[in-house]
Amino acid sequence: MFEVELENITKSYGSESVLDGMNLRFERGRFSVVLGSPVSGKSVLMRLIMGLESPDRGRILFRGQDVTNQPAGIRNFGYVPQSFALYPHYRVFDNIAYPLVLAKKTSGLRARVEKIAKKLRIDHLLSKYPNQLSGGEKQRVALARGMIKDSSVFILDDPLVGLDFKLRESLFVDLRDMLSEVEGSVIYSTSDPLETLALADDVFVLDDRRIIESGSLDQLYEEPQQARTLQILGVPPANFISGELTGRICRTPLGQCEIEANEETSAQRPVRIGIRPEDVCFQDLAPSFLLGDGRVLLREDLGAETLLYFEAAGLRFIGFWSNGEAAPIQKDEFKFGIDPGSLHVFDTNSGRRIGITKSAGALV
Amino acid sequence: MAGVELSDISKSFGNFTAVKNVSLRFPERTTTCLLGPSGCGKTTLLRIIAGLEEPTSGAVLIGGKEVTGWPARRRDIAMVFQYPVIYRGLSVFENIALPLREQKLSKGELTSRVEDAIALLGLERSLNLDPERFDNGTRQRVAFARAVARRSSIILFDEPITNVDPESKFRLKQDLKKITERVRQTIIYVTHDQNEAMTLADQIVLLKDGEVLQQDAPRQVYNHPKQMFGGWFLGSPGMSFLEHPFDPGQGGRLQSDLFPFPVRIADAHRVSGSNQATLRLGIRPEHLRVLTSPEPDSVQGTVLRKFRGVAGQYLVAVKLSKHLVWAKVRHELGKNLGETVWLRCRPEAVTIFDEQDQAVSSALLKDSPEARPASQIADSK
Repeated sequence: MFEVELENITKSYGSESVLDGMNLRFERGRFSVVLGSPVSGKSVLMRLIMGLESPDRGRILFRGQDVTNQPAGIRNFGYVPQSFALYPHYRVFDNIAYPLVLAKKTSGLRARVEKIAKKLRIDHLLSKYPNQLSGGEKQRVALARGMIKDSSVFILDDPLVGLDFKLRESLFVDLRDMLSEVEGSVIYSTSDPLETLALADDVFVLDDRRIIESGSLDQLYEEPQQARTLQILGVPPANFISGELTGRICRTPLGQCEIEANEETSAQRPVRIGIRPEDVCFQDLAPSFLLGDGRVLLREDLGAETLLYFEAAGLRFIGFWSNGEAAPIQKDEFKFGIDPGSLHVFDTNSGRRIGITKSAGALV
Repeated sequence: MAGVELSDISKSFGNFTAVKNVSLRFPERTTTCLLGPSGCGKTTLLRIIAGLEEPTSGAVLIGGKEVTGWPARRRDIAMVFQYPVIYRGLSVFENIALPLREQKLSKGELTSRVEDAIALLGLERSLNLDPERFDNGTRQRVAFARAVARRSSIILFDEPITNVDPESKFRLKQDLKKITERVRQTIIYVTHDQNEAMTLADQIVLLKDGEVLQQDAPRQVYNHPKQMFGGWFLGSPGMSFLEHPFDPGQGGRLQSDLFPFPVRIADAHRVSGSNQATLRLGIRPEHLRVLTSPEPDSVQGTVLRKFRGVAGQYLVAVKLSKHLVWAKVRHELGKNLGETVWLRCRPEAVTIFDEQDQAVSSALLKDSPEARPASQIADSK
């Protein structure tokens, strides 16, 4: 049984359609991340699940029960809204305890607040007021408040947006730990691919008013079925080149290769080819690879790794090298290659994956 | 062109001290990144340089001349803000040209400056579009062009790519690098993002709680942090730290759960503090090799957490007998990692920190008969 299900959900504001016939199923005990661009309607979706908005059409189920018409108070899900506000005149303790006080569930209140505060490393701040806290501490208080309820579902609406890099990094760990602590399901929205990679068990890609693809993080990362998924799920973003597929022969600006298509096609067909930055090779180039001559545009130093931005065949690429100092390409012009087995091939018109490529080798 | 100098600058807001006794030099035609977490005082410093904020004490010098107390408009500084500024109702060209209209430039000079900036930022194809409809990334490129076209001696950037979508970030980083390389004005850039700082800066100024912790070339800050904070702050994740009691009476020897063999501090006399001190060994994730079976010189550990990061790599938190350390593994290996792994690390890759969290300028060595002669290693250091 699924923890939360959305069936055929449609939502508009006036003439603007935000969600259109959306179907979604969240599994129990999982960290589910809804990934979409900043204006894709993620917050509306989160508010619908919470019960703070009603859909125009469709049903919302909780453990198989229709809760579409239940108000938020009855559904009783934990919630961390995107722009959280702490009560300035309440101490941290009372801010965290508020959802339990509101629900009149105050037995063992102190112990529960202390437990969750300890988990989020804010137990030393319980008697302070919000204006005495740093931004990161406030964020932790908001997380504690959103997750203190006796609930099995916790909705987190882009809770780390706008935070410092290092702070987000430490909250990744805290958030994952929270999931095991509360023994519930987390439904989390973000537009950030790094957050998605760090946190998700399951990913739901929201694009053009519906979920275009969902599955386990590894599944969507390794073998995305939609070009859009490859485009937004990955850091740095994948490279795309256009090509043509005739039978099994794929022609690209970097030469041609053979792919094993999962759909038969004899006519010439335009394709988009995705290449992950980590699949761009700078050494040990095999003759079977797609090969190119690159010219460096920028070396981005990640400390432990280097991102190489370069130009080849009139196109821009990003490559990844897992060493900060000994970048393989000290010269500004270099050779690179791509194993055809690592290509992601999509139909240009539908955006759907059509090829599972095979290292059949580049054809001259 | 002119360099900038801050001499003993402090700034308080009520009883909160945002900046404490900061003295810094920003050499002419170089790019300096002020790097640190929220609240470290980096934006306050930038605003003091711009003349948008008065220091409580201390002096600001531009091109050797004291300008403390001068209004912003007299300082010949262009500034780019976190939220891109677009003037409504004006074309892209006019948005870039607006500050130049106040200067007495010939029409030809004005046009050529604006066109140069448009070319530098690749805005040619956006010229006839309405800038109000641009996404934040393109708006910010217009703001960059406006700052470049002014040809002021100094350009200040205040977290200019924080509020753009992830896809635009990559484009803007390339544009910023071009600006730092080709324009060669004195650039001061505020960020909390270590990657931006490492990529764009000639020098990084690392700040915490209103004080300067370190001022060095980017790789120097990364490879040789002066405090534990720098080791943790730079890198994603940053260093893991292992705490060990240390008795200088033992000839610098200590046991760490990071190594199956005893290790030794090359110059133990450099460790300050009491006789019974606590040391911290800092190790970067990329200096740990994760192995799926025991190999010589490796230690066994348990994988407690595993998540994915940049380029599909896995970050793993490994529990050794006493400490938790982070390591990175490529995605092919990471996917198949079990609970038990073995870690191998060269002692020389460790940075040693003393009780005051300060880096000790001494190497950690393997202490065993088959180790290289200590003198050899000490020389190469």
